[in-house]
Amino acid sequence: MIGTTARRLIGATALAVMGMAGAALAFPDGPVTYIIPFNAGGESDITARYQQQPFQKITGQDLIVQYLPGAGGAQAWAGLNGMPGDGQTIMGTNLPHIVLQPMLQDPGYKTEDIANVYMFHFTPDALLVRADSPYQTLQDVIDAAKKMPGGITAGGTATNSANHVANQLFANASGAELTYIPYTGTGATESALVGGEVDVLWGYTTVAVRQGDAVRPLAIATEERHPLFPDTPTFKELGIDMVGGAYRGIGVPSSTPEDVRQQLSDIIGQVNADPAFRTQMENDGYAVIDVPYADMDAFMAERTAAYTAVAEQLRAQQ
Amino acid sequence: MANAASILFEALSPLNLLLAVAGVLGGTIIGALPGLSATMAIAVLVPFTFVMDPASGLIVLGAIYTGAIYGGAFAAILVNTPGTPSAIATTFDGYPMAKRGDGDLAVTLATIASVFGGLVGAFLLITLSPWLATLALAFQSTEYFWLALLGLTLIATLSQGNLVKGLIGGLFGIFLSMIGVAVIGGDMRFTAGLPSMLGGIDIVAALIGLYCVPVLIGMVAAPGQHLDPGEARGFRLFEAIGLSLKNWFNLLRSSLIGTLVGILPGAGGSIASLIAYSEARRASSRSDHFGQGEPGGILATESANNATVGGGFIPTLVLGIPGTPPDAVIMGALMVQGIRVGPSLFQSGDDTVYVFMTGLVIATLLMLPVGLVVGRYAYRFIVNVPKAILVPLIAYMTVIGSFAIHANPHEVMVMVVLGIVGWAAGLAGFGASPIVLGLVLGQIAEQGFMRAWMIGGARGDFLGQLLVNRPISWGIVALILLTMMLPLLRMRRVGRRVPQPVNAQVVGRSVDRAGLAGSVVFLVLAVVILLQARGLSVMAAAFPYAVGTGLALLSLIQILRSLRGHGGVNSESVSADGTGRGLVLAATMLGWALIFPHLGLFVTSVLACIILMLTAQFGRLTAPRLAAYLASILVMVGLFYITLDRVLNLPLPAALLF
Repeated sequence: MIGTTARRLIGATALAVMGMAGAALAFPDGPVTYIIPFNAGGESDITARYQQQPFQKITGQDLIVQYLPGAGGAQAWAGLNGMPGDGQTIMGTNLPHIVLQPMLQDPGYKTEDIANVYMFHFTPDALLVRADSPYQTLQDVIDAAKKMPGGITAGGTATNSANHVANQLFANASGAELTYIPYTGTGATESALVGGEVDVLWGYTTVAVRQGDAVRPLAIATEERHPLFPDTPTFKELGIDMVGGAYRGIGVPSSTPEDVRQQLSDIIGQVNADPAFRTQMENDGYAVIDVPYADMDAFMAERTAAYTAVAEQLRAQQ
Repeated sequence: MANAASILFEALSPLNLLLAVAGVLGGTIIGALPGLSATMAIAVLVPFTFVMDPASGLIVLGAIYTGAIYGGAFAAILVNTPGTPSAIATTFDGYPMAKRGDGDLAVTLATIASVFGGLVGAFLLITLSPWLATLALAFQSTEYFWLALLGLTLIATLSQGNLVKGLIGGLFGIFLSMIGVAVIGGDMRFTAGLPSMLGGIDIVAALIGLYCVPVLIGMVAAPGQHLDPGEARGFRLFEAIGLSLKNWFNLLRSSLIGTLVGILPGAGGSIASLIAYSEARRASSRSDHFGQGEPGGILATESANNATVGGGFIPTLVLGIPGTPPDAVIMGALMVQGIRVGPSLFQSGDDTVYVFMTGLVIATLLMLPVGLVVGRYAYRFIVNVPKAILVPLIAYMTVIGSFAIHANPHEVMVMVVLGIVGWAAGLAGFGASPIVLGLVLGQIAEQGFMRAWMIGGARGDFLGQLLVNRPISWGIVALILLTMMLPLLRMRRVGRRVPQPVNAQVVGRSVDRAGLAGSVVFLVLAVVILLQARGLSVMAAAFPYAVGTGLALLSLIQILRSLRGHGGVNSESVSADGTGRGLVLAATMLGWALIFPHLGLFVTSVLACIILMLTAQFGRLTAPRLAAYLASILVMVGLFYITLDRVLNLPLPAALLF
């Protein structure tokens, strides 16, 4: 097929030219499209919105947020490497999603297909109850669950997700079996908890901040007590070894040149250092972290190892 | 409310008024183009509002949102394609009205209804927010399940000719909704091993395909204008106002339904307008006319869907839980401006949120002049543009509209394939609307039921969780029963008046061959569903088993009925005339969807549009006319291409050409 060969040659040449052009010009040389693989309104969206202003201030270019929801993010991630790799298109990436999804089924991409350039924050797991719940402490929940295994319902977002992992880790560490009820999106879980459909909710510190007096966090999965919730114990204090949550970062198509990845990583690092951005994030309950491009491989290896065991358990339940 | 006068003064400042006009105008146009959604427009504009005063920025976003929900009615009325999912039910009566030459009246009715519904929604938002938000929390998974069933009862209404075929279509739609990763259970279902199907069938892509492709095929099938031009009669505003006054109770009821359903996060405008339509039909003395161009039908759906705008902001602002996707984007914009939505908002003493609500009222009022003018141009345009331009234009809109949803060529493929499936199903007497209802409501029904099952199981009281202990569900179930009884009651009334009218038609019927073939296909599908369900987890398999069994039984019944000649006439059924040109159109669209990711959107679209122009041309094509057509195609393709690439910044596929 002469046609195919010729087309491939032209395509390859065009790509090479574009690649060189991308490397030669200053990055970014135009508005940057920032794809969020989820619907608007969730943590991934809000933090992207918070990044827009500092990004604009640092680079002089607009950061345009777009939503490509589908299959818990898998649809967007599966399409990431087909997008132009000139740094003008970047995508939000989430952990444990990009590790768990390929472990549990074939979502159309592999964990190592995704070129993460920066992990910029995480939301610590939190177990929440509504304000008038009979459960005052985490021990109350554990006692009730042990008395009636599976009798307590715990809401969370989606199946095989960060919340689902938290539910499983909690069961492993405490011996308390809760019935996990999956919802579509954080918003739906919040109305399920506040409206009394589920007894407890696997959420994040951000949910506790947003819902204010309507909910009470019983425990938070950080190393030390969260500054916004000085009265709420950590899981560790209560003897349950759970530290973690959902990590969010930025990835690029695999065709993106190394120097563009490095520059992007530097820019996101500068965004993270912006004092107004940090305050906004921390007041909402996010924990800002800095995992630049250089440290990414080590970070991903550590997280992948942490999720492997729990993935086996979730698979066994399918 | 600290100072009502200062709030009003701020909302009415010249700049804010100008922004509201621009927002409503832009929103209306975006809403009228299928595939381009309010969510997308608002998301793109959010960064620009950072440089504005918070109140002005929010007014623009609210105006775009309310304009877009309204704009969806234009495409629904004029080309039988809902511009947004919330305009699905507007096609039922809007398009028949346009077909018979009353398109201008239908557009004016939609405008009046949208303004009225929008005002009711906004009024309830301003006055009763905290109280209504508590009501939203009383609706749980169980109630969502019953609400979805209530919406599905519309199938009985929409398949007047043949209930069995309607139900088969509905179950097929529910099957389509199950494709992809199951939210409950986490299994991959019915993806045929394709990773691109993991995200499931996008509702908007399916809407565009199922409604628009059959219309396009119908347009090229016969010469003559797309719509009856009628005579130039102005806005027909007084006629429309008269009809609205006669329907005042319908308008009020539909607006209240719209607000209430809008409050429920995740339910949204599509369900609201479907339920409002169903209720309007049930209560109307002219219910037999619904579906054939009844003004009351448009008034019901359009007032309900614009009422969801105000309704949707109630949980967004009071609970911090966005009611609809556009609400979620606006919530993000509020948070960036430092306004924390949620329980503390109304105690914070910040006036911005009240300025925003006032702005929403103003934007809604502005829809009247803006909508009438835009509607008039849209109507005259669709009526007067020759088919040889209209067909490629609409086809191009379906392609870029479905591409724009996820910036993914896959959605274009889904749109075209479903369109052809919908057309074929239409030939066999299976209408598109039952399929769409199943697709839109299937996931809500499944997830609601499965959650009630899991929670009921954990508490050891499944029936209590599903119905017995839930008074709101009693009410919805009562409405479902009422709607189901209605055809029976009417049949008895008609039966008394005209003895045995049905049998007269049965005599002399021949075998319904197309219906027979269709039913056999659905029977095979049912077997496939049942076989594949065996490999799924219990939670993910329950609904496939139910749907597969139902589909198998109904297909068997229809096979017997088709053999006995009970084909039934579906009001939506497609004519098989001019199939040659129709096949060219279908093949062109298929090729378009296949080739454009590789060759480039612009080049492929120009080529496809030229083929479609020739397909839609009847009679001799003179050289000057050909030149004019080619020039219009180039301009039109180029304009929307630039909009996608530069204004909306959609990542286009990396193709050979551009």
